[in-house]
Amino acid sequence: MSGNEAMRASASVRIEGVVKRHGTTTVLHGVDLAIEPGEFFVLLGPSGSGKTTTLRILAGLEPVSDGRVFMDEVDVTMREPGERDVAMVFQSYALYPHMTVAQNIGFPLKMVGTPSVEVAAAVNEAAAKVGIAHLLGRTPGQLSGGQQQRCALARAIVRQPRLFLLDEPLSNLDAKLRMETRLELHALQRNLGATTVYVTHDQEEAMTLADRIAVFMDGRIVQVGTPREVFSTPRTIEVAGFIGTPAMNFVSGAWSGATVTVAGVPLAVRASTDQPREVKLGVRPNDLRIVAEGLPARIERIEDLGDSCIVSFAAGESHLKLKSDRLHPVKEGDEVRLAFEPGAEHLFDAQTGARL
Amino acid sequence: MGSGTKPARSLAAQERRFALALFVPALLVLLLTTTVPLVYLGWTSLQKLDMSMPWLSGFAGLGNYAKMGGDPRFWNSLVLTGVYTGTTVVLQVIIGLSLALLVLQIPKGQGLLRVAAILPIVLAPVVVGLFWRTLVLAPDFGLVDLVTRTVGLGSHNWLGDPQLALISVIAIHTWQWTPFAFLVLLATLATLPPDVYEAARLDRAGAWQRFWHITLPLIRPAIVMVVILRMMTALSAFAAIFAATGGGPGSATEILNLYAYRTSFTELNLGYGASLAMVLLSITMAISYLMFRLRRARS
Amino acid sequence: MTGRKPFRSLALAAVAGVGLAVWVFPVIWGLLTSFKTERDVLAYPPVWFFKPTLDNYREVIFGASSIMPNLWSSLVVSTSATFFTMLFAIPAAYALARLKYPAKRASGFYVLATQMLPPVGLIIPYYLALQKVGGLDTYSGLTLIYLTFSLPFAIWLMVSYFEDIPFEMEEAALLDRAGRLRTLWYVILPQVRGGIAVTTIFVFLNAWNEFMFAVVLGGNRVRPVTVAMFNFISVEQTQWAKVAAGAMLAMLPVILIGLFAQRHIVKGLTVGAVKGGGRR
Repeated sequence: MSGNEAMRASASVRIEGVVKRHGTTTVLHGVDLAIEPGEFFVLLGPSGSGKTTTLRILAGLEPVSDGRVFMDEVDVTMREPGERDVAMVFQSYALYPHMTVAQNIGFPLKMVGTPSVEVAAAVNEAAAKVGIAHLLGRTPGQLSGGQQQRCALARAIVRQPRLFLLDEPLSNLDAKLRMETRLELHALQRNLGATTVYVTHDQEEAMTLADRIAVFMDGRIVQVGTPREVFSTPRTIEVAGFIGTPAMNFVSGAWSGATVTVAGVPLAVRASTDQPREVKLGVRPNDLRIVAEGLPARIERIEDLGDSCIVSFAAGESHLKLKSDRLHPVKEGDEVRLAFEPGAEHLFDAQTGARL
Repeated sequence: MGSGTKPARSLAAQERRFALALFVPALLVLLLTTTVPLVYLGWTSLQKLDMSMPWLSGFAGLGNYAKMGGDPRFWNSLVLTGVYTGTTVVLQVIIGLSLALLVLQIPKGQGLLRVAAILPIVLAPVVVGLFWRTLVLAPDFGLVDLVTRTVGLGSHNWLGDPQLALISVIAIHTWQWTPFAFLVLLATLATLPPDVYEAARLDRAGAWQRFWHITLPLIRPAIVMVVILRMMTALSAFAAIFAATGGGPGSATEILNLYAYRTSFTELNLGYGASLAMVLLSITMAISYLMFRLRRARS
Repeated sequence: MTGRKPFRSLALAAVAGVGLAVWVFPVIWGLLTSFKTERDVLAYPPVWFFKPTLDNYREVIFGASSIMPNLWSSLVVSTSATFFTMLFAIPAAYALARLKYPAKRASGFYVLATQMLPPVGLIIPYYLALQKVGGLDTYSGLTLIYLTFSLPFAIWLMVSYFEDIPFEMEEAALLDRAGRLRTLWYVILPQVRGGIAVTTIFVFLNAWNEFMFAVVLGGNRVRPVTVAMFNFISVEQTQWAKVAAGAMLAMLPVILIGLFAQRHIVKGLTVGAVKGGGRR
């Protein structure tokens, strides 16, 4: 059953110039995106950045104000949700409270007139895949949060859709369960091979799950790439600040040649320029070092996390953070100097915030 | 549903068509059963249409309305409507709220009280009116007279004396509908967050201050709603009064609603009755408009 | 403090008890009266212990002035009014609560406004119109005018129940390829079963208790029990026991419904009141 069906069940998705307006406010300012068949694609961004709206447009739950949506190169912009062959897991799960788990999972099959014997078989298979086969007779009200989430997942996979949409499916689970489910979800997607679009504001979730990530900021996609690319070469200062915990450190400086001068202190960088300019220099907390020569800073606070520690500094106007897996022989109030390996820096235009 | 191959039909258009298919039947029924008759009522109010003198029928213009100016029975009914509506609504809210506040303090037996309160609400007003006219207010053998005779206040003609009759019909209405205010306010009070009261206690607010500064503002929307609904009921009160006094003695309990009815169906002067109904309609609409404005201004 | 408490709760209970008695006692008194002989009714001081008789009930059920045909009239009118009200109200309320369509706000206000119409304003045109088409003293005429108060009320009450359902329900069902109509039928309606029950009860109660329309538009054939009770008292002025028995019989259905659906009725009243519906 799953072999050639799974082949069929993965679509390519492309959206072109999608604009969404609610009255006078514009939620999406022309979004373009191309998703490969079988890809695990994550829409990442802070709340209100337009990622959920984009997902709902893919589902057909939200009409576009402008632009087009293609699935397997067929224009589906005007199609109803039911005609798109997509399945969705809602943040609230949206389980039908009056139906049993089995009825919930079987509902999308029943709606297309699948014979009840086949429905039963498919329901059992889907429930087994997510590990809730023993709960089929219960109603959603009798399930725990994690079980409800699995039920919603089973309802989505039972019909083997071409496109699988997930809207923050883990956000209502507690931290431990979230980690476990994340891994299972990843394995499940690989197993099914269905194109998956996943919305989250949690960058850690995005990093671990995604084949590729699209980062949303203020109704625009600012970067598309693999988790590694997005992390190591963020396209703008906003992306750089959004991805990674603790967040990247930024200081203002002047860049000329292969040095950036911050508060009078020259710091060596790998890239060089012949046009001196004002920049924002970004360094990840992991890349910051306490050294003999460098930017003077005073230690404000040391947080010991057991396996690692985070040191906070005040350097002039800016506050910086350093993350290290060994405990430094320093204490709060110490005056130290900070630097980084050339190449660990991220340079952004001081005006536009674009990567240089 | 859903024919897959017509991509031109947009989602929003599809939703709109479905919505109209669901809503339009009810809309048509409402137009046919309420709005068309209303237009006919307006037209009738401009006619001279007296079934007892059918040969005089004809268009009267605003004659029916002009006639009201010199009709003491009309002015009397207008005053009675104001007194009846005002008194019953105020009594219902005050008694209902006080009782709800009291009952909320009782740990047990709230359920029993709720059942008791349902009883008057589900009874037909005409039966309530008959009940009071016979068993409760009848001279000598009614419940009230039994009490007044026992305590030495003597027997009274509760529905025969003009003054007492008005008080009696107000009492009947208040008896039947106070449970509504009580139940709604009790349910509203029960939903108020307890932490607000705990905070107020810590801020050293006394019981009266807590009521005045916390409870009352929080339940104001419910009170306003109760007042609106109770006014509507009072303005169109009919069956209980009709059964208890028939509007009498004379016209002592003849509120506008009853006057319009009696003019139309006792005296068979449908034209004048229609114009009286139009006046009642305007009053009802004006009051509900004002109340909704007031409600929106508050929130 | 602790010494005051028992006294306080005793006082509270006493006040509540009086409230309870005032609402319940007249009905209990009526019940007792319905089992008395006419002689016992007019006894002073009132007799508490009397030999109960079923004569009054026998009279109002089997006697010359039996109210059985009237109970049947009430049942027919109330049932058909309730059926048609719910038939039109449920879809309309769903559209009003959940769907987007042109002039939605205006149509909501229109429904609300029709609910404010005083019945006396409607009965004059209905009387004139039904008289012309021979619709007086018919079930259909009375059913039609009952829609004027029950339909707006039912629409608004149902709207408040539909609004309680999360929007994701429809979206999930649409994605599950149910389509609009089956979404309504399989996913939404089962979730408002409680609301439908409450609304049905209210509509039925209001129709059963209606008097003014019934007395004008009814007649010898269609005479609901409220009208029969009214005529009863005009004819049998002093036969209170019989009147009481008739009233008990006439109000038995609504009292039973009221007691059984007590919890729902309170919710219905509150929902209606808070969200802005309900004439009664």
